[in-house]
Amino acid sequence: LPELSAEPVRVLVTGAAGQIAYSLLFGIAKGDVFGKDQPITLILLDITPMLPVLGGVVMELQDCALPLLREVIPTDKEEVAFKDLDAAILVGSMPRREGMERKDLLKANVAIFKSQGAALEKYAKKTVKVLVVGNPANTNCLIAAKSAPSIPKENFSCLTRLDHNRARSQVAMRCGVPATQVKNVIIWGNHSSTQYPDVHHCKVNMAGSDLACFDAVKDDDWLKGAFISTVQQRGAAVIAARKLSSAMSAAKAICDHMRDIWSGTPEGEFVSMGVYSSSNSYGVAEDLIYSFPVHIKDKQWKIVDGLAINEFSRGKMDATAAELVEERDTAVTFLSA
Amino acid sequence: MPDLADPIRVLVTGAAGQIAYSLLYSIAKGDVFGKDQPIILVLLDIPPMLPVLDGVVMELQDCALPLLREVIPTDKVEVGFKDLDAAILVGSMPRKEGMERKDLLKANVAIFKTQGAALEKYAKKTVRVLVVGNPANTNCLIASKSAPSIPKENFSCLTRLDHNRARSQVAMRCGVPADAVKNVIIWGNHSSTQYPDVHHAMVNVRGKEVEAYDAVKDDSWLKGDFISTVQLRGAAVIKARKLSSAMSAAKAICDHMRDWWFGTLDGEFMSMGVYAGGNSYGIPEDLIYSFPVHIKNKLWNIHDGLPINDFSRAKMDATAAELVEERDTALSFLSQ
Repeated sequence: LPELSAEPVRVLVTGAAGQIAYSLLFGIAKGDVFGKDQPITLILLDITPMLPVLGGVVMELQDCALPLLREVIPTDKEEVAFKDLDAAILVGSMPRREGMERKDLLKANVAIFKSQGAALEKYAKKTVKVLVVGNPANTNCLIAAKSAPSIPKENFSCLTRLDHNRARSQVAMRCGVPATQVKNVIIWGNHSSTQYPDVHHCKVNMAGSDLACFDAVKDDDWLKGAFISTVQQRGAAVIAARKLSSAMSAAKAICDHMRDIWSGTPEGEFVSMGVYSSSNSYGVAEDLIYSFPVHIKDKQWKIVDGLAINEFSRGKMDATAAELVEERDTAVTFLSA
Repeated sequence: MPDLADPIRVLVTGAAGQIAYSLLYSIAKGDVFGKDQPIILVLLDIPPMLPVLDGVVMELQDCALPLLREVIPTDKVEVGFKDLDAAILVGSMPRKEGMERKDLLKANVAIFKTQGAALEKYAKKTVRVLVVGNPANTNCLIASKSAPSIPKENFSCLTRLDHNRARSQVAMRCGVPADAVKNVIIWGNHSSTQYPDVHHAMVNVRGKEVEAYDAVKDDSWLKGDFISTVQLRGAAVIKARKLSSAMSAAKAICDHMRDWWFGTLDGEFMSMGVYAGGNSYGIPEDLIYSFPVHIKNKLWNIHDGLPINDFSRAKMDATAAELVEERDTALSFLSQ
């Protein structure tokens, strides 16, 4: 047997009995995220009524006979779930129900993420890396960070990698190349319909050389119109077709995001992550979780500075920031309530 | 960009369903056919499922996977089975409430007769076929009989999930990782008569290879609850999840196909449902029966010469008897 790194990493997934987790857990346990030699203690948190379903998930993970999976701990208790964590993937959130106002949704989620932020503060390692997936992801992430004051805000991020992957894939299909030949798309802002998929700095590798995306695609109208709306509304399109949400591709994006945090981004490439906006050089309002282009090294991300921003992009970047400011201000009122 | 091979054409049936949803991503990622092997993924399902299939295609695109050259959703066998290198037949008629076993068999004979004939007509003669849809062994036999010019050795059915479950149960009992347990065997039918046999299994305990019976030190568990736990695990998962075991089934499918493609390790054998013709264990011929196999150059060989005690003999015979009965019922439908 190969000699494995001694200490397992402790990884929490919330909403663990749900659809996205079901597509995600296998990828984590297999070694795709934290490395092929890194043993894992996987902690699965969900609400009490879901514990029997969680029992079934645990059985299946055992039946997968995966060598890196040292232990699986199903629980409904925060003091068990958040203890000594190295990584937390917060998938679970309050879903929107029919007739629910946006304000009610926000209020319910503030309660959840305030509690989970406090649990991170109390039980997790200070080095924990936290990825918030449950929507509204950006604002939930901000609430969690504010509720864990002694954990660096830089340790918190939210998922816009799915939108990023969708943008890559749309450009790739348009150019007739594999998606991996499209680099440096950017998702700015909120993981919502105001997100701004920006390909002004994107490169497409075609016939051996790197072309600027606008030159490779040769259809500015599409890149400034239907391309953007396709990426913004892709989630809804998948739900309309499958009658279920996009668990497979969301799980893949979560794996990509965490893996890049853990082992860094390749030279010359940047990825999109929702991160804390204070001290950003793009004129985006402070004290938000806003999606930026980032490099990652030694588990630290840095916003890619100095990219030229034209008027078209400026308008869209500001619009999504404005939505996030409004969400934050509403959420913060509930925080102090 | 690295120099990549020609793409292979891989079909998954029941492609809009639950097991496929857990499976397709791993295939497209390169976990089965290799990190340098581009893939054309063909997805077959029935016409009412085509809109759902479109959603699956969208998601595979959104996964931005470098090896996935093309995804072809279809409800037509002439498109589904064309020029295939590999076929994973997940789709089958599920048991509905009140359905007799005979009706289930009859419905599935119709499906697998058609798919066998399509393999015969459209696929490469070198195609490797893995039947997952239940009753897997008998469905596999019917498909094989309906594709007479494709070697019977190219057809197999899935018992790797049971095999992985058996490994995992022994591993948990011994407090070791699952891959420290080797050479469990699943004999027979992928049903509740399957026989999980650890008489020849080895457990790596702190660097030493120990026979499973010595590592576990609980013969009555190994001959009792261990067997029934593995046999009934599928039902236990359904009871807990309210859905069938898609994640672990998908993992087992990947293991089975990957081992078929790249071979088994020296000294290790795996469980596969294969054609029993010419077997040295006294199992009736003309069945698809799960045996311990080695694989090399995409060819499997039953691991011969394992001593079989009375306890094992009885269990191996019981599951064979069930398969003989299933086959005979199925064949009566085939000739209609």
